[in-house]
Amino acid sequence: MPSELMNPLSPAMIEARGVEKWYPNGFHALRGVDLTVQRGEVVVIMGPSGSGKSTFIRTFNALEEFQKGSITVDGIALSDDLRKIDAIRREVGMVFQQFNLFPHLSVLDNLTLAPVMVRKRRKDEVLQQAMALLERVGIAEQAHKFPGQLSGGQQQRVAIARSLCMEPRILLFDEPTSSLDPEMVREVLEVMQGLAADGMTMVVVTHEVGFARQVADRVVLMADGLVVEEGAPQRFFDHPQHERSRQFLAQIL
Amino acid sequence: MGPIQRLRKDLFANPLDGLVSVLLLSGLAVAGYRLLHWALTQARWAVIQANSTLLAVGRYPIEQQWRLWLLVALVAAASGLSWGVLRGLPVRDRPKTTLWPSNDRLAAILLVFLASWTPALLGLTLAIQARWWTLTALVLLMRWLAGRYAGRFAKPAALAMPLLWPLLYLLGMVLIGGGLGLVTVGANEWGGLLLTLVEASFAILLSFPLGVLLALGRRSSLPMLRWGSIVYIEFIRGAPLITLLFLGQNILGFLLPGGLAPDRVWRAAWILTFFSAAYLAEAVRSGLAAVPRGQLEAARSLGLSLPQALGRVVLPQALRVALPATVGQFISLLQDTTLLSLIGLLDLLGTARSVMANPLYLGKSAEVYLTLAVLFWCCCAALGLGSRALERRLSPPSLSR
Repeated sequence: MPSELMNPLSPAMIEARGVEKWYPNGFHALRGVDLTVQRGEVVVIMGPSGSGKSTFIRTFNALEEFQKGSITVDGIALSDDLRKIDAIRREVGMVFQQFNLFPHLSVLDNLTLAPVMVRKRRKDEVLQQAMALLERVGIAEQAHKFPGQLSGGQQQRVAIARSLCMEPRILLFDEPTSSLDPEMVREVLEVMQGLAADGMTMVVVTHEVGFARQVADRVVLMADGLVVEEGAPQRFFDHPQHERSRQFLAQIL
Repeated sequence: MGPIQRLRKDLFANPLDGLVSVLLLSGLAVAGYRLLHWALTQARWAVIQANSTLLAVGRYPIEQQWRLWLLVALVAAASGLSWGVLRGLPVRDRPKTTLWPSNDRLAAILLVFLASWTPALLGLTLAIQARWWTLTALVLLMRWLAGRYAGRFAKPAALAMPLLWPLLYLLGMVLIGGGLGLVTVGANEWGGLLLTLVEASFAILLSFPLGVLLALGRRSSLPMLRWGSIVYIEFIRGAPLITLLFLGQNILGFLLPGGLAPDRVWRAAWILTFFSAAYLAEAVRSGLAAVPRGQLEAARSLGLSLPQALGRVVLPQALRVALPATVGQFISLLQDTTLLSLIGLLDLLGTARSVMANPLYLGKSAEVYLTLAVLFWCCCAALGLGSRALERRLSPPSLSR
């Protein structure tokens, strides 16, 4: 849904203004990026590798530091204050390219660890919710297995369920299907599509054009640490405005 | 493949293999025969028989030695109990366990076999022989009881097991040293195998957490912590243990005001601890390096604090990877305790040297040294076996297994 139609009283879920980041080796990875994500919106970020898109979404939950600009997540401004960072991380889920499941814990324990330790919820109550979530992503029968016994697609679905178990207000996806075999991409995208339909706020870094066309409210193209173009998927894919966008689309389509 | 074909394939696959096998086998046979021949006909084991108590506990007062026997009995009972509980509780990837799996039966038979003739062979008195038989029976009885009932009391057993050994260790220190109504037996009266085991176990138990903290410190983003850890680790690793031991005996006395400095035995134990911690830190650091960065990131992104993420996600994986190197360090620590004999402590080697200095046993050093080697080998083999069992238990199941 386009941002003009949102209730102006409800603040944006993510508000990034002029974000700049230098890596310790001096590389200027983000050169002043602006992005606003509204509640319930699905934003897909695309761009060539090295464009800074992963770095950018990793600043939202402070996995990456930034040196200039400001980021506000759900009304909380990101700063060096550790309590604020922890508060933001509780509300922001993240799904990684390499799944990053905890290999020494069973699938169920992967899901219940954070709710029990961080939210201090009762284990039996979390277990019920975890089973319901595994049901939802279609792998309830694997609940007692270990991550190493699952396929890549199954692992990524567990990772999504693990994030959901913290009941986040927003989910970040960092190339969730890039390390999957082609036949497993669909099962993960279907789960993500279901989440979007349920109104989850999502920021997705991906190369999946089909997903972006069908699910995204907005597509953002990043290149060389800057936002080049953003717009509704139809307009972006069918009538890109900038030369850099046309170049990029010519390469991936 | 039958055993004969197997042997043929392994040892005599081609002429060169065959030649190497024959040479090695005949070399081994000759060496083994000569060792046995010496041990059974020429060696004079009286030196060991007459000094067995001295080698075991040094000059520990005879009227208090019942405490050590009690401790050995408690350790035997706890061993049997742990053995039974560990084998009687279902493991996650093989939920069905039998009371006596085949290799447990084998171990039990081996134990009975060893216990039935070794004490007699060592020339121990009948009373002492009977004690060893009782101890063996105790181990097997507890093993049977625990295996029989572990399943029924799975929950309390799982809770009590981690507490059993620490409590037993503390109780053991009281039994050895006195207190709680027992007569005090000062550390300078401990000796032989007893002193070696006390020093080694103390250093192992304390150096492990210290090493983990140092490893974490070395990877910390706080510069003071990082540089402090690096300087400590590199200083300790750059100095030979014997130098540090001498340094400790002399310097700690000057640095700490009179009476505060621990006596020589504990001073040495602390030096061993600090020394071993530096090496352990490097072992743990290699384990930490093997855990992908994404693990910490995933844990932090779920809202876990740094201590929570380290304790529940990173360290369990890192320590499993570091386990073989860690146990290797424990084994060398155990062997390094022999250096205590050079600073005048009567550990196993120190006691042995005092025995060999006795004119009565002149020229009997081969017998004594062989006994020491076998004793050390048993302790190290136990550590190695435990480590491999733990490693198997801790490795999560995966598609490839």
